[in-house]
Amino acid sequence: MEHKYEEWQQQLVKCIRCGTCRSVCPVFQVADNENTTARGKVKLLEAVSEGKLTLTTELQARMSKCLLCKACAAGCPSGVKTDELFLSARRALAAQNGLPLAKKLAFTGLTYRKLFDLGLKMGSLFQGIIFKDAPNGRGKLARLPLPGAGLGQRRIIPPLATSPLRSRLPEINKVASPQVRVAFYTGCMLNYVYPDAGEAIVKILKAHDVEVVIPAKQSCCGTPAFTSGDYRVGRHLAEENVKLLAAGKYDSIITGCASCGAALKHEYGAIIEDPEVKQLWKELSKKIKDITEFVVSRGIKQDLREVRAKITYHDPCHLVRGMGVSKEPRQLLQAIPGVNYAEMKDAAKCCGAGGTFSMAHYDISRTINDWKLDNAEATGATILATGCSACRMHITDGLGQRGSNMKVVHTAEIIAKAYGLD
Amino acid sequence: MQQQVIIELRRLVGAQYVMDQLEDRICYSFDATFRDFLPDVVVKPGCVAEIAAIVKLAGRYNVPITARGAATGLSGGAVPVEGGISLVLTRLNKIIDIDTANRVAVVETGVITQDFVNAVTQAGLFYPPDPASAKTSTIGGNIAECAGGPRGVKYGITRDYVLGMEVVLPDGSVVELGNKFDSEMAGPDWGMLLVGSEGTLGIITKIYLKLVDKPSAKQTLLAVFTSLDDAARTVSEMIASGTIPTTLEIMDNLTIRAVEDYLKVGLPVSAEAILLIEVDGSAKAIVKQAEHVIKVCQQCGATEIQTASTPEDIDKLWQARRAISPACGKLNPTKISEDATVPRSQIPTMVRRLREIAQKYNLKMVIFGHAGDGNLHPNILSNKHDHEEMERVEQAVAELFKVALELGGTLSGEHGIGYMKAPFLQWETGETGFAVGKAIKKVIDPQGLLNPGKLFNA
Repeated sequence: MEHKYEEWQQQLVKCIRCGTCRSVCPVFQVADNENTTARGKVKLLEAVSEGKLTLTTELQARMSKCLLCKACAAGCPSGVKTDELFLSARRALAAQNGLPLAKKLAFTGLTYRKLFDLGLKMGSLFQGIIFKDAPNGRGKLARLPLPGAGLGQRRIIPPLATSPLRSRLPEINKVASPQVRVAFYTGCMLNYVYPDAGEAIVKILKAHDVEVVIPAKQSCCGTPAFTSGDYRVGRHLAEENVKLLAAGKYDSIITGCASCGAALKHEYGAIIEDPEVKQLWKELSKKIKDITEFVVSRGIKQDLREVRAKITYHDPCHLVRGMGVSKEPRQLLQAIPGVNYAEMKDAAKCCGAGGTFSMAHYDISRTINDWKLDNAEATGATILATGCSACRMHITDGLGQRGSNMKVVHTAEIIAKAYGLD
Repeated sequence: MQQQVIIELRRLVGAQYVMDQLEDRICYSFDATFRDFLPDVVVKPGCVAEIAAIVKLAGRYNVPITARGAATGLSGGAVPVEGGISLVLTRLNKIIDIDTANRVAVVETGVITQDFVNAVTQAGLFYPPDPASAKTSTIGGNIAECAGGPRGVKYGITRDYVLGMEVVLPDGSVVELGNKFDSEMAGPDWGMLLVGSEGTLGIITKIYLKLVDKPSAKQTLLAVFTSLDDAARTVSEMIASGTIPTTLEIMDNLTIRAVEDYLKVGLPVSAEAILLIEVDGSAKAIVKQAEHVIKVCQQCGATEIQTASTPEDIDKLWQARRAISPACGKLNPTKISEDATVPRSQIPTMVRRLREIAQKYNLKMVIFGHAGDGNLHPNILSNKHDHEEMERVEQAVAELFKVALELGGTLSGEHGIGYMKAPFLQWETGETGFAVGKAIKKVIDPQGLLNPGKLFNA
């Protein structure tokens, strides 16, 4: 038996096939097919480890039909680490069968930081050629269907920012009497798509007397690459980021994107190979904090400004199950005078985005998202707050398609408002 | 299997509901037991007419059919032991009617148990059977295996709520057994023949279920004992003296220690047994019942009693019971869960005998379960990759069945027979009983195509 399979075996043998994963897996709830459940995929990997099945492209297709929302891992009565197991399987499958050319090119592009940056900046200038504005300024619609990019003509995506976050703000954001010094790891989406949310995070930090460094040389966290099984690119990005962030000797590393945060805090552990970098990461991982977690740990500010709104909150998978953050955003929202907080049903259930999943399986993604929208709208809230740009994008798309007036914002944007910083 | 069968199946139900790739067949080769058998093809029909057509087709080509709900079974009922067609019934998932005036529900076979329970609760009534797998299992599967649950001691098991059903017979004809009336008495209770039949006599497609009044309040108690006999005596004494709790769960010392190791919530690790007791009814009635329960526990030697009536406190008391499965999983990966059941007065003897068996075969065994109806769950903690140990497990299981029957009990309190207990069924039925079972099967399914390898068809 190959070494890799021995590692799998330790997890595989724990599965008692009880089927609890059927009751929590959003993809199964749409597809009603055992090949989408965790126990089904565990069984498939067991067959591989026993030599009864090879790493076929059919297997790869089934392993890719997963949101990586971690609901099965969190709900497993036997504690099978399905999330780690399935990532490892995707890696083995990508090594065996390769990845689609579009993905391969895109991921390789991520490793050329400057070129990637230039590309997205140029993109913001020329996006009008391919996209047109959606009604009510909700975002962009493709002028033509772009199936290669997972874009049908109905899907609404946000425009690229004309001026990315890291061009708007200096690398070092000083305060009069700094209490601590942190790095803000923006990730790609806060930088290129939602810079206003990124700016809100910096303002909040400064209001807490925190000196904020936004390292200019930060790269993509690598999530799109390693979740697709591309560990070569994923590892390169992980190691570059860890070396960069460790060198700065910051008190904390602040994230405002659930997936980046979960990657930096946990996922990197299984990706980084260089023993020295791994040691650096072990120390660094303790310092990774979501912005809401950080603010609560510093103490919520008193004399907040009133924000009159009914607000509900969506738990991003990688925040609630990835970083273990769910109380803090609620605590913050509920502390704001005027906020009528309304908890939605199944707030911690995946919104269906799942990164590249929504490109490959948009219909499943949309159905899952519609459940989320139904639950959100049932609260009567006018604002949905969340802490993940991918969720924000997907929920905004859904709301736009159904013509809803609900607005989606980053939790930090509401806090900034209550702090009088907008 | 002939390719022609698959071609015809595709024509019958549509290509997207027929799967014959290895990667998909593997996903339908197992349930919650630990052996796998590959189906040749997986079919997901959408209505009774399609099921009838599939059954006829299978008869024509002599292909076995194994019905499958959510495949959460613990005896192997949904596993296609002889290959053929895995007939997945989850597309039949409509709750057709909840008739509050007549207290009857009509549901399709693939409805998830918990979804049904929620709908009934919403309608202001109560469906008591509560198998541990309710969040996942289907009503059809519950009936085919005659599922139980902790509430069985007071409310009975699935069988007690089945009024009738629609069934596709092995020749493809469709029959209604029983009907929506609780008091139907036109001939023998044919429907009962199908309850627990594990898909060997027909494919259950629609079910009429009896509903009852929702109790308005409940109280939960936890009692600690230094002697297992005292705990067991409490169970018999309580029921004999007039209080039938909703739930009466027992955990033995090894279970307590495994759970405490896992949860670290301060369980009494030196205790020989814990009883988790729940009473329900009107607010007035449960006060009296709880008083009685406490009195009996004290008389029988309980060293500590905790009570809870708010949802949060009740949840805390249940925490330990719910943690048994993951706690055991941490000790050993493969959990062989049995449900041999004895008259409740025999519980102390049964537990002693079980311990002897575990010692004899040098196996790790935790004992817990539904003490109220004598349905113990001795769980052997093992590793399926350790073949030598698994052999000892098999011998131990055979012996524990013998003991249960010797004490006047049964092979299965709620998990069914499946492929796992089929070799032992004759011990319970006797030769004549077994022959009758085989004869009935032969008459209804002369080709022996419905779920071969199970029950009387093994």
